[in-house]
Amino acid sequence: MAPTWPRLLPAGLALAALILGPDALSLAPNRLMPGAPLSAHDVLPGWAWLAVPLLALGAAPWRLAPLAAAGALLVLLAGLGAGAAALLDGAAPAARATLGSAAWVALAALAALVFWPGQRRLLAAALLVLGLGVLAWGGVLDGFSLAVEFRARREAVGAALATHLWLSLSALGLASALASLLALAGLASARLAAFFDALLGGVQVVPAIALFGLLVPLLAALLGAFPGLRAAGFGAIGATPALIGIALYLSLPLLRALRTGLTATDPAVIQAATALGMGRGRMLAWVRLPLGLPHFLGGLRVAAVQAVGLVTLGGLVGAGGLGALVFEGMSQFATDLILLGALPVVALALAVDAGLGAMERRA
Amino acid sequence: MRPLPALALAALLAFLASAPGAAMLARGLGLEGTPFDTARLLGLAGQHLLLVLGGAGPAILLGIAVGLWVTRPSGAGRALRPVADAGAAAAQAIPPVVVVALAFPALGFGAAPTLLALALYAVMPVLRATIAAVEATPPDAVLAARAMGMTEREALWRVVLPLAWPAMLPGVRTAVLLAAATAAVGSLAGAATLGTPIILGLQTMNELLILQGAAATAALAFLCDAALGGLAARLTGGQGAAMQAGGDRT
Repeated sequence: MAPTWPRLLPAGLALAALILGPDALSLAPNRLMPGAPLSAHDVLPGWAWLAVPLLALGAAPWRLAPLAAAGALLVLLAGLGAGAAALLDGAAPAARATLGSAAWVALAALAALVFWPGQRRLLAAALLVLGLGVLAWGGVLDGFSLAVEFRARREAVGAALATHLWLSLSALGLASALASLLALAGLASARLAAFFDALLGGVQVVPAIALFGLLVPLLAALLGAFPGLRAAGFGAIGATPALIGIALYLSLPLLRALRTGLTATDPAVIQAATALGMGRGRMLAWVRLPLGLPHFLGGLRVAAVQAVGLVTLGGLVGAGGLGALVFEGMSQFATDLILLGALPVVALALAVDAGLGAMERRA
Repeated sequence: MRPLPALALAALLAFLASAPGAAMLARGLGLEGTPFDTARLLGLAGQHLLLVLGGAGPAILLGIAVGLWVTRPSGAGRALRPVADAGAAAAQAIPPVVVVALAFPALGFGAAPTLLALALYAVMPVLRATIAAVEATPPDAVLAARAMGMTEREALWRVVLPLAWPAMLPGVRTAVLLAAATAAVGSLAGAATLGTPIILGLQTMNELLILQGAAATAALAFLCDAALGGLAARLTGGQGAAMQAGGDRT
């Protein structure tokens, strides 16, 4: 087994946050006011300190360490939930019990131990997700202000998630079409291929916020000149600038993946296929495409992860999605609303990365 | 991108961002709004650059140091190697704007959340490039150096680093460009950067202001790109082509 001392870093961080952190929970009079900080000693029920021996087991060099870390995380979360419920018991209805930075640091460090590269992390992740489901279903987490905010905005969060997914997929589709066209044009002429590379490479240098910002006035001018476009559903603000901008960014990784995937075929394989009497079309369908699949999936993974992130920024130009929740939360200084937007983005990005990464390795 | 066209693009965009250039473009496009003062824009550009250097500079050095440490053939740092890989992959998946947003409630309004995100996102590409570059050095060269009686440390300084550092430069380029982009996003959390006019313009639907901020932000990015490309070409004497490999962005 590989040396495991680095696992002591997050374990120590989690322990320090629990023992020394001033704000495991805070009790605020309402959703926007800052609360009074309470340490883990103040709020955790006795049984929740079981998380500490579990944490030690989670850092130790043995086979079930990731499972122990998942257990520690679940026990700590349940303890914090019980603490929050106790705080709210008898408080005014508008009062909120919010997870403080010490709790977030401890939870994030424990999550790092669960997802640590190594064996049994899939099992531990499954245990964690299952446990979270049980805790949420059992109402243990209901006291957290995040859960209160979610109940109040359940529909908005669901709609934002759906918009986010839809925009990501649309941008991915648009970029795939563009990349395929450019790849075909590039096959016809090497000079053209170099030109497209330089163009898309230049776009990559422009920060996304600037590209979206440039597209807004340019589209406004275009829509002013051709009012028919506005009637067709295009707008200077909204999904149009976001989708155009994102598709431009995603085209480069997709174009590169297409090109490497199509040209990476071993010449000996091509010769063998030619000897078998395959024509160009069958060669493409039976040899080049299947052999290029890992490259295509690699490019798709990079592009899909970027799409999730860039759509978040698209919330800035009115495209909606989870970014809109984040930015609304930031403008109100409402931590829970920021988290409601940001946590699904993180989960979505990591899940897309892991899912397509697994497919890429299998292909 | 090659340094010279990048520099030309930066100059063109900077002109469009300046008050007279923006006014000219606005007349051409039929946009409305009051232009931002050029001097104020230059001040914001200075603050933007300061934030990038202050956040990304130390982080780049840290990324190189950690990258060298985890690739040492002997030593405790090797155990960190898989962790560094996983961390870099996770950081690449999570968009910087989310990190700014998550740090915002904890660190408050101002430059602090942006600095944190800048530092985090500058470490990772440099760390990854350093690991890849060191691992790509021919083992024979290191073996020969050790056989000549060099200590491991001498071999690092006199053989591995001179061979590896041109391949580390693309990581630095990615880090700086990512930092320039992240700093612009940081104006959402109250950092004074070239993103400020974009956000202000979007809030008040002042299209001219959006245009100026966006052109200035893009100009700064192209300027950084040209400067790094030129530096790399000068330092490596033509091997700077590696700098154009571009690649990962978020």
